[in-house]
Amino acid sequence: MLGAFFKGLGTTFKYLFKKPVTVQYPEEKRQVHERFRGRHQLNRFENGMERCIGCSLCSAACPSDAILVIPAENNPTAPNSPGERFAARYEINMLRCIFCGYCEDACPTNAITLEHHYELSFYDRKSAIYDKTMLLVPIDKGHGDIPPVLTQMNRRPSPPAQIDL
Amino acid sequence: MPDVNLIIDGQAVSVPAGTNLVDAARTVEVAIPVFCYHPKLKPVGMCRMCLVEVYTARIDPATRQVVMGPDGLPQLALMMNKLQPACVTPVSEGMVVKTTTEKVKFAQRGVLEFLLTSHPLDCPVCDKGGECPLQNLTMQWGPEVSRFDYSDKVHFEKPIKLSDVIYLDRERCILCSRCVRFQDDIAGDEVLGFDNRGRSWEIISKSEPGFDSKFSGNTTDICPVGALTNADFRFRSRVWEVRSTPSICTHCSVGCNLSLDARHNSLMRVMPRENDDVNEIWLCDKGRMGMRFVESATRVTTPLVRQHGKLVAASWDEALTRIASNLSQIAAKGNGQVAGMMSDSASNEDLYAFRKLITDTFQSTSLDHRPGAVTDVAIDEAIITAGVGMGTSLLSLGKGTAVVVLAADVEEEAPLYVLRLRGIKNRGGVVHVVNSFATKLGTSASSDTRIKAGSEAAYANAFLKLVLEAQVASGFDRRVRNLDDVRNQLSKLLLDTLLEHAGVSRAQLQKVVDAYMAASNAIIVYGRTALQIGASVTQTMANAAMATGKCGKANNGLIALTTGANTFGAVSLGVRPGKDGAAANEFWARAEAGTLRGLLVVGLNPAANNPAAVEGLQTIAKHGFLAVQTMFMNETAELADVVLPQMAIAETDGTITNAERRVQRFRIAMAAPAAMHPTWQVCAQIAERATVATPASKNATAVLSNWNYAVTSDVTDEVAQNNPRYAGVTYTSLDLSINSWGRQANESVYYDGTSYTNTEGNGVQLKTVADDAGAALTVVYSPPVEFEPKGEFGLLMQTPVRAYNGGTWSIDSKLGSRQVAAHVLISSADASRWNISAGDAITVASPIGSSTLPAQIDKNIAAGHVLMPDVAGAPVHLALGAYTRVAIRRAE
Repeated sequence: MLGAFFKGLGTTFKYLFKKPVTVQYPEEKRQVHERFRGRHQLNRFENGMERCIGCSLCSAACPSDAILVIPAENNPTAPNSPGERFAARYEINMLRCIFCGYCEDACPTNAITLEHHYELSFYDRKSAIYDKTMLLVPIDKGHGDIPPVLTQMNRRPSPPAQIDL
Repeated sequence: MPDVNLIIDGQAVSVPAGTNLVDAARTVEVAIPVFCYHPKLKPVGMCRMCLVEVYTARIDPATRQVVMGPDGLPQLALMMNKLQPACVTPVSEGMVVKTTTEKVKFAQRGVLEFLLTSHPLDCPVCDKGGECPLQNLTMQWGPEVSRFDYSDKVHFEKPIKLSDVIYLDRERCILCSRCVRFQDDIAGDEVLGFDNRGRSWEIISKSEPGFDSKFSGNTTDICPVGALTNADFRFRSRVWEVRSTPSICTHCSVGCNLSLDARHNSLMRVMPRENDDVNEIWLCDKGRMGMRFVESATRVTTPLVRQHGKLVAASWDEALTRIASNLSQIAAKGNGQVAGMMSDSASNEDLYAFRKLITDTFQSTSLDHRPGAVTDVAIDEAIITAGVGMGTSLLSLGKGTAVVVLAADVEEEAPLYVLRLRGIKNRGGVVHVVNSFATKLGTSASSDTRIKAGSEAAYANAFLKLVLEAQVASGFDRRVRNLDDVRNQLSKLLLDTLLEHAGVSRAQLQKVVDAYMAASNAIIVYGRTALQIGASVTQTMANAAMATGKCGKANNGLIALTTGANTFGAVSLGVRPGKDGAAANEFWARAEAGTLRGLLVVGLNPAANNPAAVEGLQTIAKHGFLAVQTMFMNETAELADVVLPQMAIAETDGTITNAERRVQRFRIAMAAPAAMHPTWQVCAQIAERATVATPASKNATAVLSNWNYAVTSDVTDEVAQNNPRYAGVTYTSLDLSINSWGRQANESVYYDGTSYTNTEGNGVQLKTVADDAGAALTVVYSPPVEFEPKGEFGLLMQTPVRAYNGGTWSIDSKLGSRQVAAHVLISSADASRWNISAGDAITVASPIGSSTLPAQIDKNIAAGHVLMPDVAGAPVHLALGAYTRVAIRRAE
C-alpha cells in the first residue's frame, strides 16, 4: 500500500520540475497553430483600399448563413474598394459561424480570412454580430497590390461617340 | 405545316418544316448551346456557338440524284463539308444531326475561348452573375483554362450610360446583337446600333436622349452576358439572394405578369413573368422601374384624424370608428347622402367589398371608379358585350388577322400592346391605325390614317356604314337585334359628309374596311379618346363587330385600353353609379346642393387639377364627412376628416381583371411599412362598426354576418358566387399554368435571365355577353358627336395620355428624367400664325378658364389642333371632354 502511495507522489514530484502545460489566461495567451481558424478579418490592399468588393460569394458559400453582405456602388472619386462595387454593410454572426473557412475559399480577392483571434464571448446575442468596422484591419495594415482584373490595366480611352447613319 | 423527320443524337425527331435545329433538338432535350439565338427573335447565326455536324443525303453532282449506299439507304454526307450553325439551319427530311462529337466539342470550346478573350471575367461584381448564360455555357462547354493573359484582353471604360436606366459595359459584351434585334424587330424603336469594327466593335445608342425606348429594360433580360444592366437593380443584391413573388402590374390595362424580387423585406427588382396571353416575356420600363414608390419614406403609415383643424395620428380603431359613426349618421338621413369613389386600379376584392359597404351598409348608389372630372371617360358598355372572345391569344395571330386601332395612342396608354400588335403584323397580319395625331404604333402599322381632330365618331359611323354594306351579301349574325333601326338611322347619314368631316378619302376607309371584313380574326382596339367621346365611337365599333359576327369567338372583338388596370372589374363589380346614384363628376354639384354629405375616397385624388372637386370636397368636409384612404398625402387627403393608409400592390393579395378580361392573381411580396389592412378588410371593419338601421337591413347583425371574411380568397369566392360574370374564378382556377415555350429541363443553360417560367398561373378569361351562343346582341345607333371650333375658341384641344405622366408610380423611380413636363403641343401653322416658337410660354384659354404653360411645336399636327398631354401639373381641368374648344396666344 505504501508503495502505491509513493508511486503516486512520485508522479507529482516529477511534474513539479517540468514546464507547466497550462497558461495563465487571460494574463498570458496561448499561441495557436498557423492554420488555426479563428475570427474573420477583412483585409486591405497595400494602398489601404478594402479588398472586399461586395460580391456576396462568401455569403453564398456559408453553410450556416452567418454572413450578410449588402453591396453598393463605389463613389468613383473616393472609392472604398477597387472597381465599381463595395460592401456597404458586411456582418458576420459569430454565434452562427462554424469556422469552416468556406468563405475564405470563396473570396475572389482574399478579402476575408480566418485569423488567430479566438476570444469570442458575448453578454448578449446582438453583440455576436460583427460588423464591418470590427472586422476590417487598420488602414495601414494592408498587403499586396491590386490585381489587374480590378485595376483594368491597359484601359483604353473611350472612342468618340459616333452615329452610324 | 407538314412534319419533317430527322435524327438528332440518335433520337428520332418529328417537327414542323421550317423549325431550326436548336428548337428541334430542344424537343428531345438535347441542348445545343446558343448566345445570339433567342426563340422570340429571328436567328442570325452571329455567335457560332451552336455549330453542329449536320449530315444530309449525298447528291451525285453529275446526275443530281441521291446516292444510295449498299444497304439501300441514301448515303450521308456532312453538309457543306463543315460544321453548320444550328440556329439558322432549318430541318430537312432524313437529316442526321450530331451535337456531341469531338469535332463539335472542339468548335464549341474554341468559340467560347474566343469570346472569353475579350470578356473581363468580373463575375463577382457583375449583376448578371448567377443567371448568366455565358457563365453557364462556359461551365458546361467551355475550356477549363484560358490561354490568354489578362492584360492581353480588350478593355473599355467601365459602364457607360446608354440612358439613365440602362448601363452598357462594353468589355463584357459578346456582340450577339440580341438587344439591337429586340429594339428593331420587336419594340420598333431602332435606337441601338453597332459602331466601329474588330476589337473596337461596340453597341451604341443612336437616339437623343440615349436609348430612348419604353422597352429598354427587356434588353437587360435577354442580354446573355452582363453587358446591359439595369440602373434600378445595380448592385442591390445578387440574383440568388432575392425571393420572387408573382404579381401583376397595375400601371395600365395590359396586366403584365411580373415577379417582385425582394430581399430582407425590401424590393430589389421587378422582372417579367412569362404569360403568352398577356406579356409574353416582356415588360415595359414603367412596369419595371415604377415600383419604387412602394418603399418611399413619404408613404402614409398611420391613420390620421382631424382634431382642431389639423390631421393628427390616431389608432386604427379610433379612425375606423369615426368613419363608421359619421357615415352611419349621414346615411341614416336617407336619400343616399353617402357616396364612394374608388380607383379602378384596385383589386376585384377591394372593389367588391367597397361596393358592398356603400350600397349595403350605407344604402347609397352613388359610387364611381372615376376621379370626378369633366373629362371622365364614359362607362364602356360595348366592351362587356363585344369584347374579344374567350380564348383570345394575340401571340397566336398572324396571317388572316386584321387589327383596327381607333383613337388610341397605344404606346402611351398601354405600352405592351405595341409589342403584341407589332408581333401580329410581323407574323403576317395587318394593323391599321386611325388617330387624330401621330402615334408611335402608326409608324410601323400597315396603314396610318390621320383623321381630323374630333371626327372619331364620324369615322366610326362611316366605318360601320361600309361594314354593314359589305356584310349584306353574306347576311348578318342571327343573334343581332335592332339592326334595322341602326341601318335606317345610318342611311340618313351621308357617307361623303362623314368622310369629309373625318378628312379621309373613301379609298383610305375602304382599305381598312376591306381588311376588317376579309380577316378571319378581326380585332378593334380603341383608347382614351374613344372612351372619352363615349358610345358614338365605342358602341358604333361594337355594332360593326356584332353585325359581322366578329365577336363572341376567340381572337375577335373589341379591346378597350382602359384608364385603370381593373376598369372592367370596377364596372362589373358595381363600382359605378347605380339607379338614382350620381356619377363622380356630379358629386360636387350634389355636395353644393346639400344632397351629398359623406364621401369615402379610396386610392383616388379627385382634388388634383380640378377646382370644382376641391370646392365640393371642402363643402363635404365642412358640412359632412370626408374619409380618404391613400398611399401618399395628396390634395384630397389634405381636406379629409380621416385619412387611412393604403396598402400597395406588393403588400397585399387579390385579383385584377385586365383589358382582355383576364383575371390574374397577385400575391404578398413584402410586409407593409406599418400596421395596415387591405381595403376589403377596412371596408369590413367599417361595416362592423356601422349602425345604420335602414329599411333593407333592419338589424345590425344582418349586416355583420355578411362580412365574415378571414382571408382575401374568401372575398374572391364570394365574388365568384354572387357575380355570374366571375363564376368559377377562384384562387385555384387562377393558379393553373400553361407553359407555351416548349420548356425543357436544362433550358436555363442558355436562356437564363429570360426564363421567368410562369408556374403560378396564367389567369382566367371572363366571358363576354357575346360568348354565350344564345345571347341576343343588340346593336344601338349612336349618332356621331361633333366637335366644332367656333368663335373666339377657334382650336380643338385634346388631352392625350402620356405613359411617363409623373403619377404615383414615378415616386423614387429611376425614370425621373423621362417624366413629361406639362406643355402644350401646337401645329407649326398655328405657331407661325401666333408667332410662337418652341419653348415660349403660351396661354391656353377654354370657355371655363385659362392657364399659361410652355409650348412645343409638332409639324405632324394639323392646324387648329392642340394637344395638352395629361401629365402631373398640366391644367387638364380646362378640358370639357375629349375635345375642348380653346384659344391660344403668346403669354405676356
